[in-house]
Amino acid sequence: MTEEKKPEERKKRRTATEAAGRVGSMTKAMLANVPQAKGEGRPIAYSFICCCYDEIIRAMDITPHWVENYAGICGAKRDAQRFLERAEAENLSRSLCTYALCGLGFDAWREELGGEMPPDAPWGGQVKPDVMLGSGQMLCDPRNKWFQAAQHYMPDVPTYDLNLPWPPYEEDYDYREVQDDYVKYMVAQLRGLVEFLERHTNRKMDWDRLSELVDLTDRTWNLVHEAYELRRAVPTPMGTGDAMNTMVPLSFMMGTQQGYDFFKELYDELQQKIARKEGVIPDEKYRLLWGGGLPSWFALTDFNYFNSKGAVFPAETTYRMVEALYNFDIDFARITDPLEHIAWRWLKFWTCRYDKTRQRPGSHPDVERLIDYIEDYQIDGVVMHEAFSCRSWHVGLIWQLNLLKKIYRDIPSLVLESDIIDISSYNEADTRARIDAFIDTLEAVKSRAG
Amino acid sequence: MSASDNDSSGYRPAVIGVDIGSSFSKAVVLSGGTIISWAILPSVGSYRAVADEVINQALARAGVAAEDIAGVSATGYGAASVASASQSSSDLSCQGRGIAYLFPSARTVVDIGAQFTRAFRLDGAGHVVAFVLSEKCAGGSGRLLAIIARVLQIDLDEMDRLARESKKKVDFTTSCAVFTESEVVSRIAEGESREDIAAGVYRALAAKAQSLVERLKFAPDCALAGGGAKNTSLVKSIEEGVGVDVLVPDEPQLVAALGAALMAEDKVAVGKSRS
Repeated sequence: MTEEKKPEERKKRRTATEAAGRVGSMTKAMLANVPQAKGEGRPIAYSFICCCYDEIIRAMDITPHWVENYAGICGAKRDAQRFLERAEAENLSRSLCTYALCGLGFDAWREELGGEMPPDAPWGGQVKPDVMLGSGQMLCDPRNKWFQAAQHYMPDVPTYDLNLPWPPYEEDYDYREVQDDYVKYMVAQLRGLVEFLERHTNRKMDWDRLSELVDLTDRTWNLVHEAYELRRAVPTPMGTGDAMNTMVPLSFMMGTQQGYDFFKELYDELQQKIARKEGVIPDEKYRLLWGGGLPSWFALTDFNYFNSKGAVFPAETTYRMVEALYNFDIDFARITDPLEHIAWRWLKFWTCRYDKTRQRPGSHPDVERLIDYIEDYQIDGVVMHEAFSCRSWHVGLIWQLNLLKKIYRDIPSLVLESDIIDISSYNEADTRARIDAFIDTLEAVKSRAG
Repeated sequence: MSASDNDSSGYRPAVIGVDIGSSFSKAVVLSGGTIISWAILPSVGSYRAVADEVINQALARAGVAAEDIAGVSATGYGAASVASASQSSSDLSCQGRGIAYLFPSARTVVDIGAQFTRAFRLDGAGHVVAFVLSEKCAGGSGRLLAIIARVLQIDLDEMDRLARESKKKVDFTTSCAVFTESEVVSRIAEGESREDIAAGVYRALAAKAQSLVERLKFAPDCALAGGGAKNTSLVKSIEEGVGVDVLVPDEPQLVAALGAALMAEDKVAVGKSRS
């Protein structure tokens, strides 16, 4: 029954904030800077977000190429399939992370072309790097295999696998007993990274510059936190749809003045919107929490669809990888080594809800974070996205939701299913039918509550 | 769910609820809260054409002219293709409304449709207050039965009848429709009977429904909806899995269209009270 199906249209997503609307051109410029840097002889590093090395590479004037970002752009432009298929042709399983598959497919294709970009590569493509900086941290498993696999196509490009663990949560012990050991280990890892980069890029670390950038990142974290806290307002001035734009300066421009300035402008804009009582939509009926999962980059207009039903997302856990540093139980001013500063910031970010969690038996820090946002942002329902190829998030989402309902309250929830960039996993009619049903449920629950 | 005559005590404007599903399209004509006719057609060709046809058939059976219809409410995948609709609602809300009309005591509903299976919880007024869906795979939907019936070279009624004669437990180890299909082929080659294979497939689908109900947190009474509920072997497997007797409408495929019709009637009533 396809005769009434219209040809696929690329609908431009509406952003609520002007700041979010500027992100597209910022991203383009960021990507364009990579081949330019390469042309000028500056080293390029394939990089992942949330790996604590933002300030390190910038202090050494190494240009990052964010591979997850590039795969997301291919997905958002609905042009990832050919790279995924190319990776499949290389015998890589389709059930691997599709960011990784997209990147590997691209690299395999480019190297086959002798370094030329595949035809019509989105936004200029991704250049061959000088180093690849992987991560064996607990956040996501492909990060320590992706670049090893990429070496099949670029055997001359060295890779460094950074390991940044944090103490796991246990109800019956205080992580502070072991935190010094964790920090010591992480500092050794970061120092190893600096040595690796000095060896393979012929750049010397500028330690004073690094300290300046660490301070700039601290200030940016606090600013992002304060800007996002403004979204508590009713009506909320910014939704998760916009946050999927602002994740670009948050994740890819940390440790830069540009990133800081962006969030200062966003903060000011949100304050002005609140003063004018200007919300994402004029008639805000339901406030939702994006409670986990990466988005379908090719279907961000679904956020507009939620908006059309009176629903807004004042908060999300995805990509909000910052907290207010002044709320941590540590005096950063006493730490003089910038690498140690980075390690403590990382450890305290992941452990900052451990004490609160222990006060609610059976809880977990991830669920406490949901509860915090539900209460702080006056949330009516929780939406999650199971992206089939993102195993590290897919596994825990339903568990978190069930635990939330068990230890907190039976809040309405919706679990969407698709992928981050594999559009073949997505069915718009099905997704929107689920959203419609969820909105009806929210209405019924609200009516019952009076 | 049987048709009855119009109430002759006074004028009761007829309304129609239309559910354009991915496999079947359904229409229910309602007057004064009573079903007076219905029609079911396969969703083949265009949604718009099948919507017109199913409405025309239902109206013809009711003996009601299209111009005498006070409201048309649409739901389902093809709701937007019902040109005459004056309103539309999500199929989940319509299912809830329809079940509450048929079985006011129902609090848990399992809907086995062609696209997916879902479980939802109702409050006393027929509002859906929670729902969970099977993953996007035919292995969790009524479509699985049609796929396996084709492999066994029988129709769905025959598959239902055969399963009741099963003597031996044959289990299927996958939740994927494609893999189940190939597993069925293997079992045929191994000499398993069609009766036992059919019963095993029903158990596999019932297990999906059971896991959804467990995720939702079961509350009695439990009712079924959707085309899958027409199958007595599947109903029996679900009852065994969930551990309670379930309420099954005479025409479970019509539940969403009925709910849509009830909503159309609500709207007409609101319009009259305002005027």
